[in-house]
Amino acid sequence: MEYIAMALFGFAIALVGIGEAIGTFKALDGIARNPEAGSHIRTTLIIGTALVETCAIYILVLGILVWFVK
Amino acid sequence: MFLVSGINIDNIIGFRIPGEFISALIVILIVIILSLIIGFKAKRADPLKKPKGILNIAEILVSFVDNQVSKLMGSKFKNFGGYVLGLGLFIMFGFIIGLLGFPNPFTYLGITLAIALCTLGAIHITSMRFKHLSYFKRYVEPLPFFLPINLVSMWAPVFSLSFRLFGNALAGYCIVTICYLAFSIPDSFSFGFVVTPLLHAYFDIFDGLIQMAVFTMLTMVNVAQEAPESEEDSKLLTEQLA
Repeated sequence: MEYIAMALFGFAIALVGIGEAIGTFKALDGIARNPEAGSHIRTTLIIGTALVETCAIYILVLGILVWFVK
Repeated sequence: MFLVSGINIDNIIGFRIPGEFISALIVILIVIILSLIIGFKAKRADPLKKPKGILNIAEILVSFVDNQVSKLMGSKFKNFGGYVLGLGLFIMFGFIIGLLGFPNPFTYLGITLAIALCTLGAIHITSMRFKHLSYFKRYVEPLPFFLPINLVSMWAPVFSLSFRLFGNALAGYCIVTICYLAFSIPDSFSFGFVVTPLLHAYFDIFDGLIQMAVFTMLTMVNVAQEAPESEEDSKLLTEQLA
């Protein structure tokens, strides 16, 4: 049973990866349009990525719980 | 293999102090000693001359934090920069101490929970200070039957802040430990010298900086939301945008 749960967690983390890549893609679009706002966009991108990464961390903690706790 | 597994002492009393507590105490000692040294030097320095040595760095840090605080939080929170800088230094040194071989104190969930509870206290005490007794209206906000949902959402910042720090620290520590174990095989001795500094640079320094920025920014934004809007801040915002 744990193997099915870990496989689903892996799939969920792949989705988080796609989400962060979409965010970076749009940030690059913004910098290309307006190079002067580069540092504002960069700051927002890094903070936004760290906030989305919390989701991946919740999944990591769930994975550790499922695998190592009997 | 040296200090990567941390310092484990077995106390006589019956329970054992985990290695991360010793790390946390060392980090607290470092931050306190640094602050005391800078404080003593700042009192004796001449305010009209240029600062020398360590006061230079201290002035850059303090003015940067004060600018961020006044940009994000408005004019009512002039003295909040002290808490933010202390928190930021603790998080930064906590991640950097992994370079010396000590375990990262944030791999222990209790330490991150303690920091998140400090921020929760700051949020609610600020709210009580500005609203006096109508603080309790936030629990019955749209309709009175929302009370259980609002009681749970009071703890949401604690969970998100503590788990973010814990997960990042744990992931970095696990990967670095596995790589140390892998490269301690005698046949592959040359790869260890190349790979482990890169891993440390990413997981300790870069991750520490980002987590510090995110934690302090979330603290500032959450506390600033509790204060009521004032007219001067709206005027300053429109001036900045125009």
